[in-house]
Amino acid sequence: MFAYIVKRLLAGIVVMLLVSLSIFLLFWYGPSEPARAICDTKTSQRCTPAKLEVFTEELGYNNAWYTEFPEYVGGIFTGRDITIASQTTRCDAPCLGLSYKNGKPVWDEMKGRLPATFSVAIGGAFLYLLLGVPLGVAAARRRGTVADKSLVSSFLVLSSVPYYLFALLTFLYFSVLFEAPFIGNPGYVPFTESPSGWVGGLALAWICLGIFGCTQYTRYSRGAMVEALSEDYVRTAKAKGLPQREVVYKHALRAALVPVVTIFGIDFGTLLAGTIFTEKIFDIDGIGLWALLAVGQKDLPIVQATALFAAVALILSNLLVDLLYSVLDPRVRLS
Amino acid sequence: MSAETAGPETLGHLSDEPKGEDPGTKGRTITGKSPMRIAMGRLLRDKIALVCMAVVLFFVLIAVFAGPLQKLFGVSTETVLPSQFLNLDLTPKAEYGPPYGPLTMEHPFGIAPRTATDNLAFWLEGAQNSLQIAAIATVLAMLLGVTLGLLGGFLGGAVDRFLTFVTDFFLTLPFILAALTIAPIINERFRDSPNYATVQVVALIGVLAGFGWMSVARLIRGEVLSLREREFVQAARVMGMPTGRLLIKELLPNLVAPIVVASSLMLPAFVSAEAGLAFLGIGVTTRPSWGQTLNQGISFFETYPLYLYQPLIGIVLLVLALNLLGDALRDALDPKTRR
Amino acid sequence: MRRTKPLAALAVASLLALAACGSGDGPGEGTEGSFGETDAGKDKDPNAEGPAPEVEGAESGGTITVFLPGDYGPDDLDPTNGWSVTGNSIQQALTSRSLTQYRVDSDGNATLVPDLAVDLGQPNDDYTQWTFQLRDNASWEDGSPITAEEVAFGIARSMDSTAFPGGPGTEYSTQFFAGADEFEGPYTDKDTDWTEWEGVEFDNDANTVTINMSKSFPDMDYWGAFMAIGPAPLGKASNPPAYGQNIMSNGPYKVESFKAQDELVLVKNDQWDPESDPARHQYADKFIFKFNADPDQTDQIMLSDNTESQTAISNDLSASSYQKALDTLGDRLVQQSAQCTGFLYPDYEKTDMAFRKAIAYGYPYEDVWAATGQVPGVTRVQANSIMPPGMAGKPDYFVDGEAFSYDPEKAKELLAESEVEPLYSAIYYEPDPLAVAGAKVAQKGLEEAGFTVKYTPVQESPYSTWTNPDDKLNKSLTVRGVNWCSDWPSGSTFIPSLFRGGATYNTGGFQEDEIDEMIADVPSLPIEEQADAWGDIDEKIMTEFFPAIPVNYYNNLFTFGSKIGNPSGDEALGAPNYKNVFVMQ
Repeated sequence: MFAYIVKRLLAGIVVMLLVSLSIFLLFWYGPSEPARAICDTKTSQRCTPAKLEVFTEELGYNNAWYTEFPEYVGGIFTGRDITIASQTTRCDAPCLGLSYKNGKPVWDEMKGRLPATFSVAIGGAFLYLLLGVPLGVAAARRRGTVADKSLVSSFLVLSSVPYYLFALLTFLYFSVLFEAPFIGNPGYVPFTESPSGWVGGLALAWICLGIFGCTQYTRYSRGAMVEALSEDYVRTAKAKGLPQREVVYKHALRAALVPVVTIFGIDFGTLLAGTIFTEKIFDIDGIGLWALLAVGQKDLPIVQATALFAAVALILSNLLVDLLYSVLDPRVRLS
Repeated sequence: MSAETAGPETLGHLSDEPKGEDPGTKGRTITGKSPMRIAMGRLLRDKIALVCMAVVLFFVLIAVFAGPLQKLFGVSTETVLPSQFLNLDLTPKAEYGPPYGPLTMEHPFGIAPRTATDNLAFWLEGAQNSLQIAAIATVLAMLLGVTLGLLGGFLGGAVDRFLTFVTDFFLTLPFILAALTIAPIINERFRDSPNYATVQVVALIGVLAGFGWMSVARLIRGEVLSLREREFVQAARVMGMPTGRLLIKELLPNLVAPIVVASSLMLPAFVSAEAGLAFLGIGVTTRPSWGQTLNQGISFFETYPLYLYQPLIGIVLLVLALNLLGDALRDALDPKTRR
Repeated sequence: MRRTKPLAALAVASLLALAACGSGDGPGEGTEGSFGETDAGKDKDPNAEGPAPEVEGAESGGTITVFLPGDYGPDDLDPTNGWSVTGNSIQQALTSRSLTQYRVDSDGNATLVPDLAVDLGQPNDDYTQWTFQLRDNASWEDGSPITAEEVAFGIARSMDSTAFPGGPGTEYSTQFFAGADEFEGPYTDKDTDWTEWEGVEFDNDANTVTINMSKSFPDMDYWGAFMAIGPAPLGKASNPPAYGQNIMSNGPYKVESFKAQDELVLVKNDQWDPESDPARHQYADKFIFKFNADPDQTDQIMLSDNTESQTAISNDLSASSYQKALDTLGDRLVQQSAQCTGFLYPDYEKTDMAFRKAIAYGYPYEDVWAATGQVPGVTRVQANSIMPPGMAGKPDYFVDGEAFSYDPEKAKELLAESEVEPLYSAIYYEPDPLAVAGAKVAQKGLEEAGFTVKYTPVQESPYSTWTNPDDKLNKSLTVRGVNWCSDWPSGSTFIPSLFRGGATYNTGGFQEDEIDEMIADVPSLPIEEQADAWGDIDEKIMTEFFPAIPVNYYNNLFTFGSKIGNPSGDEALGAPNYKNVFVMQ
């Protein structure tokens, strides 16, 4: 077990390194002038070739990537001094570089934006389960009825619509056209500042994610439940005369939850990795929107950091899910 | 990093394995006689599938005959000098159609705000580009995925481990971020090329296919892993059939069903992804695209909603029909599912 | 959600605001074509004294929210680094004082008046030395008085092009102040103590600051209106970049909180003495600036007249809301000229005058404006001269007797006369869908006028191509462009930057010795003749050489909530007039 975790973590680290390296190389060999973005900002849009050269030199774009990349990676663990516009700033570990846009340590800003993304992810994931599992269980118990069929087919239709259009329409109708009651202007307000503002600002985003995301949970939990209800032990329990409710919720549901837990873990990781569309449409200043803006502004350190963050979220959630799976289902052995 | 995600934020089901209707009863392909014919029969009895097929056919016809259709309606995507057609708020004047006037014969879908181009022509060509890009990307992604899946699954050992790693690596790369970063770089490199318009399309197809093959590779690898232990494969091996031939002659025919299903679900994912990327601000700028019109239309949502709804309805209908058709196809090919 | 501003928002904004601030007498609330004639002497008042004249009906109290749609705002608040319309208009009006400032009266005329100095400075005969007597009653937000040494230190900071590469000092301080060769600024030049620099002298007892020039600089009083030419706390307290996030205010408001690209909250500074300030007021209790607001949402809020919008100001309005705003807002919709001119700048070597005039007739002005989301005649106005309305000495002439307009036939005739190939080779900024639409429309119009058009997409600011002489693509272009704004209403901030041989933003490569000499001669003329001299150069360049096509002047649209008193623009900065607004209780 321990060896397995170590092995997986090592593989994960290699993947993370490769992810950073590929983004790094994209910028190194990609745009004609990677320093242009910072030069434009720092000179109030008056970047002359001479000034550009200074920034190119300072940022190390005149050096080979294989000398700069290790320095970047080293900085994550030990911190480093970074000079932009002749002002040397100490960037403490974990140093993900300084934003080209405002010269602040990327890590600091990331910390500031994490709560927004966490809030979106937690609320959305909560609704996945809250809506998805009970619906799935209910449908399984009424398998074959009109209610079951209409639920299954309407969810099939819903999940076939591109998510961003669903979100966009929700936004346009419930925020722009009719202001939905109890729902504030979309956007992130820290929970500590105003719990009601937090809920109000994120409500639409959660509902959107929840309704759209719960379809597959309904599908999975319905399927698992149908299967579980036909298992011998459930039949035995029924035959023993246990109440229907107890059979369903105590025995069958527990078995049915195994696949649900696995996809839930992965989905949560994906949500953390960046809900770009949700954050863009509902104007939530989280990691996803940040990444989107950074790509537009060619702010390498931020693109780098968000990609890395996404990779970490995915890798860890996958690892956790595999571990959880082995705990939940004794038939699975990790090797 | 071994499992794929299916959350809403993944642009359709791009990085998503086709979902089993009921996990646990997840079917394998039928190996009996002419499974295709059985599937066809099932499909033709499925009313939803028939409707979807009609819708898809409708869009395919539009895509194929976009040019003649434009001539038929007397419209074109040609740029016009817009100021004479527009109000102060840049919406079309009433005599040219909505939002302030009735639709006219000259412009059956109205004209665009700001640029005053014909909406119908843009819609038709948008359909064409959308389907074209998605179809080519699907073929490429399938080729890549099937090849790597076959190789990994069959050869096993170090090759398999390497390919699995590459697959996992690509699954870990944030698709949207990567696409947003790569596309401008390619565009920049080829900006002087006389074929810039083509390069742009190729770049987009490359990005879509390059980030779309992983699910296929995993699926095929899994299938191959189970197939290669089967007697007929073992027999061919013992008889000394060369690997290449064995893969193509023995294994591939048994993989037709999963490939068909995967393709039919990948196509809508790419249609959706193409429009989604254009919505985020990258993609094809040299040709009409639904996603772009969508992006432009949002500012006019209140004054001229029809302009926004045209591409929106196009995307939703097409993606919906393709997805449902794909589901129906999977059910038809899978002997175990009941509908 | 950022709707009309996709990823490219920032880069798009950058195409607009090359140079940033300033200008004096505006064109009045510029309806189309009302070019204000200016007299350079009229808009200076060296004797203005505090307190500033009360605004009619002004009341105290309340909070004003300012939405800045699609505008990221400054990344830091360091006065030395401030060279953007947004940042300077806010800070110069509310937090950061300098030697001089603009006072905008109720008729909308801006006047240059003293700020920390008691007058507009005392120059010597050839404008190579300026002495400013400072007032005694100005203080920092902590109550300590502003000393001559601190002002001198602020001026020395503006010499540091390395620490403040985006500051206006890189353009003006280093060009005009003495000893620029030896002194690179207090942070970069660690060998020299800044007090040893010959450019500035101070006398704390007499409370004077003297600035020595390396060459004649008659516009020092205008340059003094930049917050960069104001005080900075001595020593480490003002070290960049930390100071930029936590500045010491000395205006009527101080910073309560600042989050770059997000929000700036200003509250009353009780240490500010109205007696010491001839132009600023302290009516509202609080200002909240919301950067990068959603354009459509902002329009909606402003048009709805709900409680939130009644005490709000927006510094932009989308074209799609213009008609509605016109119908519902009345005089709370303010159209303000931005003192900028946009040019098409054909390559001077590769083209001849007939070719350039053919562009002037073959470019579909209004169609391009519409396609790029501008309201023709409102937010973009056809230009007729180099200098935009509001500049001192702006001449009123038309190169061909009347305004250029889209006339493909005439363009074809001119092309037939031209001896060069009718190739219009230019670039457009592809990440912005509006720029793409604009390029398509321009291409259409130019082709109908007989040009062969080759538009190449670029992924970065077009200036990165235009200002790079070694760029292969740049060399192949026949037409480039430049959008330029004045820093103050003198032609010296406009014409030399664009039409002097070899200037960075002379993107067409225009070079005529005659013009270069005339430009060099202006500063030595008597001050009252300089404005007209710039006007003459403007007209001469255009009528004799026609090197660039002035395409448009820029107007901004501001909207004010129904409880905001004195809704008006600040003509000096092309921004809402923050100095004079108040909340009606």
